[in-house]
Amino acid sequence: MATSPVLRSRWPTPKAVAVDAENGGKLLRATYSPLHFKPAIESASDAQCLACHKEVLEDKPRVASPAGVKAADSLAWYQRTSTYSGDQDTFHRRHLTTPLAKKLMNLKCNTCHQGHDPREEAPGSSATAAPQSDNAFTLRKQVNPETTCLKCHGQMPAKEIMGLPGPWHEVKEMFQNDCLTCHAAIRTKRHQVTYLNAEAIEAMAVAGKESKTADDVCYGCHGGRSWYRIAYPYARNAWPGMGDITPEWALQRPQHSESRFLKAEPKP
Amino acid sequence: MTKKLDMKEVKVALERKVAQTYEPVKPAMQFGFVHNNVDCIGCRACEIACKDKNGLAPGPRFRRVMYVEGGTFPDVFAYKVNMSCNHCAEPACLPTCPTGAIWKREKDGIVDIDSTLCIGCRKCEAACPYGAPQWNVQEQIIQKCNLCVDEIDAGRKPYCVMACMMRVLDIGPIDKLWAGQHQTKAVGPNDKIVRQVKNMASPELTKPSIAFVPHSKGKVE
Repeated sequence: MATSPVLRSRWPTPKAVAVDAENGGKLLRATYSPLHFKPAIESASDAQCLACHKEVLEDKPRVASPAGVKAADSLAWYQRTSTYSGDQDTFHRRHLTTPLAKKLMNLKCNTCHQGHDPREEAPGSSATAAPQSDNAFTLRKQVNPETTCLKCHGQMPAKEIMGLPGPWHEVKEMFQNDCLTCHAAIRTKRHQVTYLNAEAIEAMAVAGKESKTADDVCYGCHGGRSWYRIAYPYARNAWPGMGDITPEWALQRPQHSESRFLKAEPKP
Repeated sequence: MTKKLDMKEVKVALERKVAQTYEPVKPAMQFGFVHNNVDCIGCRACEIACKDKNGLAPGPRFRRVMYVEGGTFPDVFAYKVNMSCNHCAEPACLPTCPTGAIWKREKDGIVDIDSTLCIGCRKCEAACPYGAPQWNVQEQIIQKCNLCVDEIDAGRKPYCVMACMMRVLDIGPIDKLWAGQHQTKAVGPNDKIVRQVKNMASPELTKPSIAFVPHSKGKVE
């Protein structure tokens, strides 16, 4: 954990800037690297980001809290599902480096971080800034949780959209605790976006069905870790044979995922 | 006579219980902040008072005054948005914590943290849509605003509110603030209160307990 504290804060301290000036201004040059701005950030590789921000993946949680609570003995309620394994880890490592994350997801730094002028508190604050309509970041956050985190940490609209008699955790026994009871036939083309490994997710759900833990697999993202109180408005891609009429709940939804996450169609 | 517990049964019951979904605390009353975006002069006295009270080194800022400027001459604008922890009705930070270091008080809805229980996994920091949990690099723990809970329990107001020379920052029962029924110098007689300003993450995510008097350019359409 012995990385430079200079890079840990969002904005270089005056002392850091003074030291930097003596060293030829490398820090300020790095702060204003084109990689922190659009469009360069859109094609930035993880290696380019981690060249400076390596502590993001190197830092690990404390072995024990200051009061002596051991990390190894602490498990949150959502960490007791069949899919959870491994030691306590940091937010970034859990999303990028753990075996499950690597297996099911294909997250990159710029999946969430879309860059902005480090001087700006809000979009549209200078002539050279992204327009105020840009939703890449929000006040006090370098990412926009509504377009990133909410995808997997929103509520499952079980009643409103799927017509279930109640929230999933209350009615799951009626469906053998298995999402694939219905979803083996309904909406079978799933997770076809670049930030997920669709095949691995589907294979894990099928394996979960056999071991009777399929609920854990799907619900892990679709409501089981719903930090937020609203559901993500997933793009409604109509499946083959579906009627022309769009249901009311889908009227405001996009017809396909954001272009940056669309998968290239396989060539015939 | 005490019934002897069947520990196997307890373990099964515990596992069943902890794998359930999280149910937010419903407080008897909810405190929240109100900030006048127009009259705030951006002196940051609130930020400094907060840092002073909490002994914070450069880096973590529980409260932050954000300068929002823009427009094209002659139609230019500048206003301030001031946020700390919004003590959300349904906080995102709380359920992410593996050690139970974060909790919500039933009597006034304050989202408090005991940072001595923090193992530094930083999940709460990522989950909060409003950037409230702050990373303390030296200690490798998360800290955040607890609305100066000790001051509240002593019948006083938080340090940030007491430091505001323009009286544009205040606290009160959030329902009354939203309804315009709470007497405060932060809100003028003709001011309209809103729950969200431009570029702030949607309040539907966690229902933050905050009210603003917005600038005309900061209103959400």
